[in-house]
Amino acid sequence: MNATASTEPVPGRSQEIEQCAAEWLARLDRGVWSDIDDQALQTWFGTDTAHRVAFLRLQAAWRESDRLQALAAGLRDSGPPPRGYWLSPAGERVMLTRRNPPQRAHRRTGVPKFAMTTLLLIVGALAGGAGWRNYTRVDSTRYQTALGATQNLPLADGSEATLSSDSRIEVRLSRHQRKIALQQGEAFFSVAKDPGRPFVVDTGTHQVVAVGTRFAVRRDGADLRVVVTEGTVRLEPNGNGRSAQPAALLPAGSIALVRGDAVLVRHVALQDAERLLDWRQGLLAFRNTTLAEVAAEFNRYNARKLVIGDPAAGNLRIGGSFRADNATAFVRLLEQGFPVHADESGDRIVLRSR
Amino acid sequence: MHSALDRWFIDEILVHEAALVRYLERCWSRRDEIHDLRQEVYVRVYEAAGKALPTQPKSFLFASARHMMTDRLRRSRVVSIESMGDFEPSHVLVDDVSPERWCGGRQGLMRLADAFDRLPDRCREVVWLRRVEERSQKEVAVRMGISEKTVEKHIAKGMRLLADYLYGLRDDAPAQPVAEANERDERHRVD
Repeated sequence: MNATASTEPVPGRSQEIEQCAAEWLARLDRGVWSDIDDQALQTWFGTDTAHRVAFLRLQAAWRESDRLQALAAGLRDSGPPPRGYWLSPAGERVMLTRRNPPQRAHRRTGVPKFAMTTLLLIVGALAGGAGWRNYTRVDSTRYQTALGATQNLPLADGSEATLSSDSRIEVRLSRHQRKIALQQGEAFFSVAKDPGRPFVVDTGTHQVVAVGTRFAVRRDGADLRVVVTEGTVRLEPNGNGRSAQPAALLPAGSIALVRGDAVLVRHVALQDAERLLDWRQGLLAFRNTTLAEVAAEFNRYNARKLVIGDPAAGNLRIGGSFRADNATAFVRLLEQGFPVHADESGDRIVLRSR
Repeated sequence: MHSALDRWFIDEILVHEAALVRYLERCWSRRDEIHDLRQEVYVRVYEAAGKALPTQPKSFLFASARHMMTDRLRRSRVVSIESMGDFEPSHVLVDDVSPERWCGGRQGLMRLADAFDRLPDRCREVVWLRRVEERSQKEVAVRMGISEKTVEKHIAKGMRLLADYLYGLRDDAPAQPVAEANERDERHRVD
């Protein structure tokens, strides 16, 4: 025993060391920490590598628990949600059983056509002059883009929104929440991290919640599409308070499609997800996409609409990258490379197979 | 705040904890010594890496575990036949957890959610208020109507359990909160 005494294991000692390490970390967590404390901790480290190793292990786990904030974003009440609240999307599909029945109608007929190039900015609902620093008051700002325009919008919290063509959002920044109502179209968000103020995009039927991440939300009639390119967001139906129904967690590379009561989540390579956001550079990118879908995409950006003349034309598969605002050039290419004939009349271009 | 060595230890070694513990359990008959063995392996790896960083962290970890068990057997006066397990680690290297699987986006987040859900009620609430709502220990104490000392104890316990679940948990382990097993350790105060 003598020569090896120092390394001879003492049963249960590692548990004691781990407990000591936990107590150090809990004290550190208290926030009252002096130089003397620090010296004592360093001394404790110095006496045995086992101390440092146990400390590192617990500290890493404790830091990891920071990410609980991503799961918590947007929960309205204080305190932890019931166990099992976070449900992983089972397989590829999550069925959401309930949603808000009355859907607000947002028709684009309400959009004035006069602003052709830049955006219209309305600062409204400025309750008094105190601004959002005041506890109860909220600045509400509305942004809107004209057909064919995209616009970068730096928001007051450091986040950035990019509005797609013919889109409308209302931004409300309060002390406890950053709420973006996506009223029409599509917007991409690069969210400044602020765990105390969740960033919530509300589409009427659903909420998309993020803490420090990059994602896009798009409304297409009653359909909804969420594309996540960085971080994680949570997609949940708008209900009354916290309900037992599951929220879908969407990591980077997710494309979530919401139609009716169903949510379809696909996981794709990051560059494929990014490709869906090429409109930010004024480009539309397609890969093996039907002409019908391509036409619908162009029509989001142009007053002159592409109309599919017959099913055969609509089913043609298109690939490539095109300027969103130049449907005419796209149609020329189409006529050259595909069995398609274009009839231009007024504000329509009818595409027929030939 | 962390040195490169600390960082390396967390990223390259701790992520293999579940596989390491499985290996130790296969080779070592005395279950009550596994925690000690695990810690001793970590110490060996950390000290060796302080001299030169191993290029193959995982292989190095398992080799260290094997050597440590051999040393322990050699040192003990009476070698029990049953403690001579098969130390060859090649069998356990096949199916274990990769760091990507451990810390990658959704997997990692779900694992964390799962670990959090396994905490005992009070402990879970304390961790939530502290980590998510970022209340001070003092505020947590007031809110829950308990002493600050108790809050601190819950936090100490919470991080130990979280570490066990995050690093050591096997996928087949049942999902249920554990009993309050750590109270006995509270007499050990460090000042």
